[in-house]
Amino acid sequence: MKTDDERVPAWRRYLRFWKSSPADDVRDELEFHIQATIDELVADGLSPAAARARAQENFGDVKRIAATLDTLSRQRERTMARAEWWDTIKQDVVFGLRQLRRSPAFTIVAVSTLALGIGANSAIFSVVYSVLLRPLPFANADRILALGQRDGSNAVCCLPFGNYAAWRDRTAGFAEIGATWGGSSVLTGTGDPLTVGMVPASASYFRAMFIPPTLGRYYTDAEDRVGAPRVVVLSYALWQNRFNGDRGVVGRSITLSGNPYQVVGVASPDYILAPPAERVWVPLAIPAQRLSDFSDHELRVYGLLKPGVASAAALRQLASIEAEIARQNPHSGYDGGVSAVSIVESITGPHRETLYILLGAVVLVLLIACGNIANLLLARASARSAEIAVRGALGATRGRIVSQMLVESLLLALAGGVFGVGVAALVMRFLRASPVQMPRLQSASLNGSVLVFTVLVTLVCALLFGLVPALRAARTDLQQTLRDGGRDGRGGRDGLRKALVVSELVIAQVLLIGAGLLIRSSFAVRSVPIGFDTHNLVAFGLELPHSRYPEAARLSATFQSIDAALAAIPGVRGVGRTQVAPIQGFGYDWTAFREGSNGHDAGATGANMRFVTPTYFSTLGLSLLRGRAFSAADDAQGAKTAIVSRGLAKTLFGDVDPLGRRISNGGGERPVWMEIVGVVSDMRASGQKRDIPNELYMPASSVPNGAQTFLVRSNVPTSQLVPAIRRAVKAVDPQLAMAGVTTMDAAIDKQLATDTFSRWLLTALGFTGLLLAAIGVYGVIAYGVSQRSHEFGVRMALGASANGVQWLVVRGALALAAVSVVCGVGISLLAAKLLTSMVFGISARDPLTFVVVTGVLAIVAVGASYLPARRATRIDPLEALRGT
Amino acid sequence: MPRTALQNIDLLQGTLDLIVLKTLSWGPMHGFGIARWMQRTTDDALQVEEGSLYPALYRMENRGWIKAQWKLTENGRRAKYYKLTAAGRRQLVAESESWAALTSAIGKIMMATREPA
Repeated sequence: MKTDDERVPAWRRYLRFWKSSPADDVRDELEFHIQATIDELVADGLSPAAARARAQENFGDVKRIAATLDTLSRQRERTMARAEWWDTIKQDVVFGLRQLRRSPAFTIVAVSTLALGIGANSAIFSVVYSVLLRPLPFANADRILALGQRDGSNAVCCLPFGNYAAWRDRTAGFAEIGATWGGSSVLTGTGDPLTVGMVPASASYFRAMFIPPTLGRYYTDAEDRVGAPRVVVLSYALWQNRFNGDRGVVGRSITLSGNPYQVVGVASPDYILAPPAERVWVPLAIPAQRLSDFSDHELRVYGLLKPGVASAAALRQLASIEAEIARQNPHSGYDGGVSAVSIVESITGPHRETLYILLGAVVLVLLIACGNIANLLLARASARSAEIAVRGALGATRGRIVSQMLVESLLLALAGGVFGVGVAALVMRFLRASPVQMPRLQSASLNGSVLVFTVLVTLVCALLFGLVPALRAARTDLQQTLRDGGRDGRGGRDGLRKALVVSELVIAQVLLIGAGLLIRSSFAVRSVPIGFDTHNLVAFGLELPHSRYPEAARLSATFQSIDAALAAIPGVRGVGRTQVAPIQGFGYDWTAFREGSNGHDAGATGANMRFVTPTYFSTLGLSLLRGRAFSAADDAQGAKTAIVSRGLAKTLFGDVDPLGRRISNGGGERPVWMEIVGVVSDMRASGQKRDIPNELYMPASSVPNGAQTFLVRSNVPTSQLVPAIRRAVKAVDPQLAMAGVTTMDAAIDKQLATDTFSRWLLTALGFTGLLLAAIGVYGVIAYGVSQRSHEFGVRMALGASANGVQWLVVRGALALAAVSVVCGVGISLLAAKLLTSMVFGISARDPLTFVVVTGVLAIVAVGASYLPARRATRIDPLEALRGT
Repeated sequence: MPRTALQNIDLLQGTLDLIVLKTLSWGPMHGFGIARWMQRTTDDALQVEEGSLYPALYRMENRGWIKAQWKLTENGRRAKYYKLTAAGRRQLVAESESWAALTSAIGKIMMATREPA
């Protein structure tokens, strides 16, 4: 059994009691010893002086010993202080846990609110970290620039082959300039035929954007040549999924679109910034004739600056190369501008604003949650004021009371944080599964940085909602409180709670207005006429491998028999083909060049060129405005013909009839002229948020291409149509693999996925904020009613009607709502600016959104006061007056 | 009885600790009292420099074996009294056992009649 003396604080109490310093203690103790010795010696008959000398001799070096003792007792002081500190904390924790257990409803509400708030914050932060903050995987990411041409002030995404080759060969400031292209291919011989992304990339691309390969090597310049043996680099995911991660894959031959390729390596998984992850890289191997192509913008180009070279200098030199190209090729339509952004900016820039706005929104929701908990704590603190007053009366200092209350808040926050991590894991599963296209979103995880963030957020939360109630509680006026019997007689505390609720309402309003703007803007986007009927339209890709379909005639014949087989499916009303369907992507980048133009007037303009079958227009539902559609006669041997969109016709020819006039792709040395045979209606082929592109069409048969996208219009549900299509295709050639089967509506949804995602998230956060703020209003009003029950009782005893009392209460809520609405509208007007780039078709200060949200907020605030108001009318005057 | 050479030999730290613990096992005592008690019990055979007793006391206090308290002596003077804690009592038992074992072992060696093989 422990005796009372053994507990540490008893010793401390004794120290405080004497208020003695350790140094004084040492001196006193030694003095006593020497004095006692002297007394003894004097009693033995020595003179006092001799006795003192003897006593000191016996004792030894007093100074040295005193110094040793000082050190030892200071050590002891420190140990004791630490022990006492821990002891206090332990006491506070135990006491805090007991308090929280005593009010489970409060604890559960507070912890779950915090868990949701903190969890949402961690999840969004993990995305922010993964997409924006995490260093890029490239070896010299700070020296890599994404390069392109500039058209006036607009950066053009891609570069023609000719420009690329010139830049690569003549650059002085870049160590490497690499390029990639896009495409797909069918992998066979490893199970079912699989359509994989095939990225033709220059050997220099892997050097510019270097990440060490997982296996083997990347290909060399010698392999990146026309006529060199075919080599391929596999993506990590493809290697894992199709080759079971077999390390023996290097050196093996695989079949892509019927051609054998030798595997030289497996790329680092970090090359995949966004799905699909199953890809292959093959050498770009630029054919000689493309080296003089200065007009088709096809290549994504990246440059690695030489160490120590300033990007401005390197770019100036590129611009001079570019200016020379423009001089030599006046018909390219470009005049020497070069655009460059850092690789970090080019990858993360487009997502930064959206992500930070979403992060801001979750932080705001967490602030509302903290406001609510602070309110609950304030209410609890007044309910506990008697207890606190008693503790104060028994000698607890303010510091102790504050620290006790803070420990309680910290416990709440920590519990919230722990559950929050669980919530974050769930939210992240949802985020990763969403169709949002963001680079590196898939690799978002609850890593160390995210956990550190979570801990920080948790601590900040504890301070935010705990500090003010704790300070308030410590200021409790002992006598007043004890006299009041625990009833809060002062209004000041209520003012603070009201201010908190008003802030919550303001924040909720800001969030809801943000959500409202995005919702309105999505309606605006959806209501933009796209120019063709997107419903009941299925699209899919199909590739006839060159190895099995080497002759153009056989290729065309096979496609035509597939066309026929599809058209024969019951319910199918039209079948059309092109390389890349609208919405899903651009056609070929062309400079549509009017015969007679000098290349710098309106007669040369950028256009999307698509090869299409005769039935393409009718299948999409584009209307033929003038002339004719293509016919079977417009084939490779026939006259060169083209069809233009209304907008292109207008740009090139103004009001002049374009039929019979000739255009070509850029001016060039020996232009191939095509005669315009028809004009079709415009469509927003690049999506509803983009401008209407100029579309230019050529007959599919003029340049036979093994890779086609089919468009099938039907009045059969997609679920039945797709299997029928599959059967029809297999009937023609069982070895063919359909790729990217989708409906046009789904393709549009996918294009707008990030908008949809932001909209839903902001809406969910807005309503969460509103709900929390409503709970806050309810809490404050209900508390007000309970504090004023005495007054209400008197009023009713004096004849006030139930309605009158109810109105008194509701009026309080209305006042809160009015103040917050005024502040909220003001702040939202400022905050809406942030959303400017995210809204479409409406003003970021859209009056309708502001009015509706303000109305909703006022109604909810008043509605939240309804229950307390009802309760006020049921107060029994007698009981209230008796003062329970 | 002649004073032994121990006068000039530093007592081993552990030995001094043991002596203090043993002294305090009779009851609380101040530093001066401990020194006198040691002197008297050993018939002045053990004479430590009295000052060196105090660092030992402080160290033992830091270890939690003894604890100190200011009290008034019979003569009405303020003095710092030390007393054994439960931990100190346990320490005393443990150390007296190992002391006994050590002395008995050394005793056997000193009494040995055969020369080492």
